[in-house]
Amino acid sequence: MRKELRFGFALMAAILIAVAVLTPWGNLTNGHLGLIMLALIVVAIMLGFPTAFTLMGMGVLFTWLAYRSVNPELAVEQTLDLMVQRAYGVMSNDVLIAIPLFVFMGYLVERANLIKSLFHSIHLAMARVPGSLAVATLITCAVFATATGIIGAVVTLMGLLAFPAMLRAGYDIRLSAGTITAGGCLGILIPPSVLLIVYGATAGVSVVQLYAGAFFPGLLLAALYVGYVIIVAKLKPELAPPLSQEERSIPLAAWMKGISDTISERALPGLLGALRGRRNEAVPTRRILGQLVIALLPALVWFGAMGLTYRSVTAPVEVADTHGLQEMGVGSEAPAAGAEEPIADGVQEPLADGVAEPPADGVQEPPPEGAPPAVAAEAPPAAAATEAAPAPSPSPAAGTEAARPAPRWFWVTLGVGTALLFAFYAVFTFVRLEVLLGSFFPLALLILAVLGSIVFGLATPTEAAAVGALGGFLLAAAYRQLNFGVLKESVFLTAKTSAMVCWLFVGSSIFSAAFALLGGQEIVEKWVLSLNMTPTQFMLLSQFIIFILGWPLEWTEIIVIFMPIFIPLLAHFNIDPLFFGLMVALNLQTAFLSPPVAMAAFYLKGVSPPHVSLNQIFAGMMPFMAIQVLAMALLYLWPSIGLWLPQLLYK
Amino acid sequence: MKKLLFTVDKVSTFVGRASGWSIVALTLLICWEVFSRYVLHNPHAWVQDAQVMLYGVLFMMAGAYTLAHGGHVRGDILYGFFEPRTQAAIDLVLYIVFFLPGIFALTYAGWNYAGDSFAIRENTFSPEPLPLYPFKYVIPVAGFFLLLQGLVEIIRCLICLRDGAWPSRVEDVEEVDVDKLKKMVEVRDEDIARLDEYVIRQEGRQ
Repeated sequence: MRKELRFGFALMAAILIAVAVLTPWGNLTNGHLGLIMLALIVVAIMLGFPTAFTLMGMGVLFTWLAYRSVNPELAVEQTLDLMVQRAYGVMSNDVLIAIPLFVFMGYLVERANLIKSLFHSIHLAMARVPGSLAVATLITCAVFATATGIIGAVVTLMGLLAFPAMLRAGYDIRLSAGTITAGGCLGILIPPSVLLIVYGATAGVSVVQLYAGAFFPGLLLAALYVGYVIIVAKLKPELAPPLSQEERSIPLAAWMKGISDTISERALPGLLGALRGRRNEAVPTRRILGQLVIALLPALVWFGAMGLTYRSVTAPVEVADTHGLQEMGVGSEAPAAGAEEPIADGVQEPLADGVAEPPADGVQEPPPEGAPPAVAAEAPPAAAATEAAPAPSPSPAAGTEAARPAPRWFWVTLGVGTALLFAFYAVFTFVRLEVLLGSFFPLALLILAVLGSIVFGLATPTEAAAVGALGGFLLAAAYRQLNFGVLKESVFLTAKTSAMVCWLFVGSSIFSAAFALLGGQEIVEKWVLSLNMTPTQFMLLSQFIIFILGWPLEWTEIIVIFMPIFIPLLAHFNIDPLFFGLMVALNLQTAFLSPPVAMAAFYLKGVSPPHVSLNQIFAGMMPFMAIQVLAMALLYLWPSIGLWLPQLLYK
Repeated sequence: MKKLLFTVDKVSTFVGRASGWSIVALTLLICWEVFSRYVLHNPHAWVQDAQVMLYGVLFMMAGAYTLAHGGHVRGDILYGFFEPRTQAAIDLVLYIVFFLPGIFALTYAGWNYAGDSFAIRENTFSPEPLPLYPFKYVIPVAGFFLLLQGLVEIIRCLICLRDGAWPSRVEDVEEVDVDKLKKMVEVRDEDIARLDEYVIRQEGRQ
């Protein structure tokens, strides 16, 4: 028998024996049944049956047992009721709508076939950095994985593009494999990511705040990767040899070269100088103007976006009304209350909240968008349903309110952004203009537009996702990759992926209802509290458990099955579920890189030359796993890395 | 027999794909509503309900489609290492123990649930109400197709137990279609094979 099989069976046997020994068979309470169920589900999932149906089947069985212990006659009926209500709860969950939309956007962006020029251009822009190919790989992965969120495709594509390039340039096999696999997985952390939506829906945390919170940890992780690669390339050049001079140079169009040589190497002064007619270089003015517009695009977009934001944060309540409908998670519902209500539950709740607050309250007033989550999440769904005033237009009082002064965070953001913009133009040479505009800007723009509109409260995640999907559609069209076949495939793949994630939700929602009915949660809580742990110990323990679970299970399973157990415990230890979510998201990165089920490794192996072994790929991933643990430690020691932005925006 | 399996596969695929198109409707509907709400300042109360329905139909009806193409996530830490016969035996048992009772209960309960809703011609709770009962009928209908597909999968398990190899499935688009991706970035198999010399050279150095 193979080593892996023996190990797996040993693990299963250990769990089963532990259950058999620890269970007080003499006086079996419902709570014990709940714990048995939890142990059995791990074993059942490891057997490899589709998890959604494993959860559903086991949930039904144990729900029936729970109801039977109270009233055997009604048990079947109650079980059926609970089941269908749970299923309907997932069907009418308005947080999860964003998932198919983001997935759809990802497939469309992937088909736009930008990755080749993206990699090429970033590589050229980075040519002077040590380990430039690896750095470019990481950045390409980060951008592309963020925009598409499809790890398998990103790793495969980079395995086809970057891996050969790195091998040819004499890079170490392990280092190359590590950068590709680690970079490809960044997409699940950096928003807009599906993982954060799933966590938000399970834990009842605002997806908007999760997005704002995960932004900097995601960048931090990417920066640590890049830093590691640069240090390795500096210390051990034989692992990542620098490029030769001719590999670095980029052919410029003749007229550009002219301007670049005579006026200025930098794009903006060069174009402006040429425009003023100083040594005009015989270039048609129209072309210079055109390039100028493209070069100014980042600045235009930035100031345009900030202008819009300014309008919306200073405007009276107008745009604030749809926000809170994202906040009603499955997790916040009482077991049986969820499904009887009309779909519109909680929709208008936050509006009332936003309007009640006089918007012209002074400089520190946060935008009304930030306020609802706590209120909406805590309000019992039933109450929300009865209160849900049917879509009133913003109250006249609010409508006539004078414009508010912009809050401080707006000016901070504006200042920082503008400074960055200046720095950007200072190093923006013709070379970079040529290579970056073709592929990097459109993607970065799409991501930032989607993310920005969510984080700044201009749109709900669902709306931003829909607009993003349309953006992906236009992107594919703009790069002439769009045809009916591509659209069809994207639609079908979206249907399959959404069904996979959302049926898992149906299953886990029934399962966790059974767990709650049996009172398993109370036993777990009592047990954890009896350990007298400090918050730090609890955090370490929970993250360690998640880390271990990441070995046999996928992130979807970990979140939908185990988060409902951890989340209620957080209150005892004064841990912010938002912060916990960020830690979990970082932690689950490791699940993708830990052998033997590391998905990324197998995708890379599928397209690498035959002599590259899986063990080499695994060995390459290890340093990056260590970096992930380091990033977790950094985030834990300085929580403001993650919490600064959400607090600035929403508190 | 094979014909029957393929027919059911095709039915599931057709239903799932047809419902998949609602993602396009969903995208367009929300984009239109965003435009109407933020630019024309004319929000529509029914859009909120309609988008939930489109999303619900999308994933519920695609359940059987996903099952027909092995798309539901599995814990494949051990499963992948099993012989096909072992896989089939495990699947067969668990289809009967977990899948059939679960999905049958869902379909049955969903039928009654939708029936109750139909009896009162239930509408959404909104100033611009939409009929809600058709949406609730999605549960039993999706359950029915899943059940059908599940029975076919059980037959597949039996065939696999007899033959020692999994019977074939209807072709479908895959998320990571390596050949298509190769074509997309213009990399050929020979190129990859030729790279081996670099790998061997590097290993020789060490």
